[in-house]
Amino acid sequence: MTPAILAATAAIAVFASLACAPRAMAAAEEAQPPITPYTRECQTGDKEVQSTSPLPNVASALEAGKTLSILAIGSSPRPGRYGHGNYREEIEKILARAIKGLNVVIVNRGISGELAADAAMRIRTEVALNEPDLVLWQVGANDALAYLPVNEVVSTVVDTVRWLRQHKVDVILVGLQAVKRMQRNEHYIAVRDALRKVAQDENVIMIRRDDAMQMINKASTGGTDASNFPEEVERSQVNHACLAEYVARAITIGAFAKGLKVRARDGKNGGQEAVPPGASPGRDNQAPAKP
Amino acid sequence: MTRPANAIDMWRGFALVTIFINHVPGMVYARWTFSSYSIADSADLFVFLAGWSLRYVVGTDARRNPTRYVVMRLAARSFTIYVAQVFITALAIAMLAFAAIILDNPLLLEWHNAASVFFDPVPTHLGLVLITHQLGYFDILPLYVVLMLFAPLIAIIDRYTPWLLLPLSLTIYVLALTFQINPPTWPVEGAWFFNPLAWQFIFVLGFVIARKDGVIGEFLRRNISVLRIIGLVVIAVGLYFSLADKLPDPTTVPRPRLFFIADKTYITPIRLFQFLALVAVFSAVYRYIEPFVPRLVGFFALLGRNSLPVFCVGSLLALAGQIIRFVWQGYFSVDTIVVILGVAVMALTAWLNEWRDRAAQWKKRQQSPAG
Repeated sequence: MTPAILAATAAIAVFASLACAPRAMAAAEEAQPPITPYTRECQTGDKEVQSTSPLPNVASALEAGKTLSILAIGSSPRPGRYGHGNYREEIEKILARAIKGLNVVIVNRGISGELAADAAMRIRTEVALNEPDLVLWQVGANDALAYLPVNEVVSTVVDTVRWLRQHKVDVILVGLQAVKRMQRNEHYIAVRDALRKVAQDENVIMIRRDDAMQMINKASTGGTDASNFPEEVERSQVNHACLAEYVARAITIGAFAKGLKVRARDGKNGGQEAVPPGASPGRDNQAPAKP
Repeated sequence: MTRPANAIDMWRGFALVTIFINHVPGMVYARWTFSSYSIADSADLFVFLAGWSLRYVVGTDARRNPTRYVVMRLAARSFTIYVAQVFITALAIAMLAFAAIILDNPLLLEWHNAASVFFDPVPTHLGLVLITHQLGYFDILPLYVVLMLFAPLIAIIDRYTPWLLLPLSLTIYVLALTFQINPPTWPVEGAWFFNPLAWQFIFVLGFVIARKDGVIGEFLRRNISVLRIIGLVVIAVGLYFSLADKLPDPTTVPRPRLFFIADKTYITPIRLFQFLALVAVFSAVYRYIEPFVPRLVGFFALLGRNSLPVFCVGSLLALAGQIIRFVWQGYFSVDTIVVILGVAVMALTAWLNEWRDRAAQWKKRQQSPAG
């Protein structure tokens, strides 16, 4: 090959690569799921506080370019300061920032203090009336406080999750809060663990709110003891603002994480505590997941 | 003079006791109230009987109270209920705060929609006063306030164009169900648990049916035997669907869906029919049980005669019951004590309320020249 030909080939290659670079970059961007970053006060170190599972119906809604409809039910989240900046608005804002062109509507039908069985009945009605793509269900705390049998709570949640799946509605469970007083309450812990298992077995996302609260507290106080219980944090707006961030991240990961779908079917990551690379090992850090 | 026991007071007292039991989530005895075997529950009965009682205030063609008297009395009643709602809500908030401090458990501050009271108090206090913010299980009196606010209008329509009242009420009900119209709550986003636009219909039904000389009231009384047979069938079908969990899948019913599903917020037709069937059948019961268990009938009637104070105390007792269950971990024995003490205190409230009236009358007689 003559130097002239070599030079010409190299020139064409450089030209071609320059010409194709924006498209390739765009493709890379498209392949990258829009993981929503946590704000500083909501960072939980190297530990994810939500399990990850696919949200096929949310993904379908996004693919079809239709308005993403979310039903929030169960215990009602508190409003933001002076009634503004509440949980619903925060999630909508974060999702709209993360996914360009996304229209999202969140219908809040939360009733604070509601038991799982009552919420389960209302979920069916609200799904029929509002036709959501996703249900955010904050569940368990009131059943635990009312000392309802764990198997009853589990049965209700499992039936409802399966009913939602049959009706092509995704679900994200939001778990129990961390409260120092309940740390040794066997029933509270039993309900919490049972719901985690339900999430794992049924392959649905669960926001582990108690872990989140402890991690936030640890970070904010600079403490080293992860068993710190965030009494004050719990009472602040930070916790609920962070809950919105965790939910928004769970939605984006669930909607775009096609790789996870395969792993979930294989049962290797079955359900599943998703932890970013580099996470420290432990009970809650079982399987790394790269969406 | 205390009125003697009657069916309306007895059933209202019965509704108050079952509401108390059902307002302690997880309580074992809640499984044995009729709410567990029926699509409708005590709330329907309570509002229906409130409409029925309105008839006594408004009167009929045969025994009319002056319009001005009716309007003023109903407006005063509405204000009394409003004051009761604000008062018991304040006490409930204080109970939750006290329990959270004593038990060192902030979770209690989030019970029953109370979270925003503690964490965003500025707008929430406005919401409490405007009754757009309602605590869970403290949400039936706001409905009652709205119904009584409109009661003077209901009374006037009934007086001058009685044929218009039920069609007008039905039209509002149908529109509310068709377009899912429900007043919003504020500052916590949501909608009224008891949608007044829908629940006004059962209130007006109670009011209209109570009128013996009205077209509808007369027709129903004339055909009550047939209606009871139909009612029995409806109750049996409702019982089967409730126990076998065979209610239709709400996503598969025709639109507008609220007409074909069982929903409490909108007191949908399925629920309403089943409730009216219960009314038709159980309206026959009083005359049979009264001779056999007069003390029990008298006991329920005592509660029913004093429904507002008993309801208020019952609501607070139910909250106290929840806190007690939480502290003592909801054993059967705890539930039993909560029910016995709760019903006893409700009865004491009713007795004290009547004693106060009797004492006032006695004092009046003593002070009168003739006395």
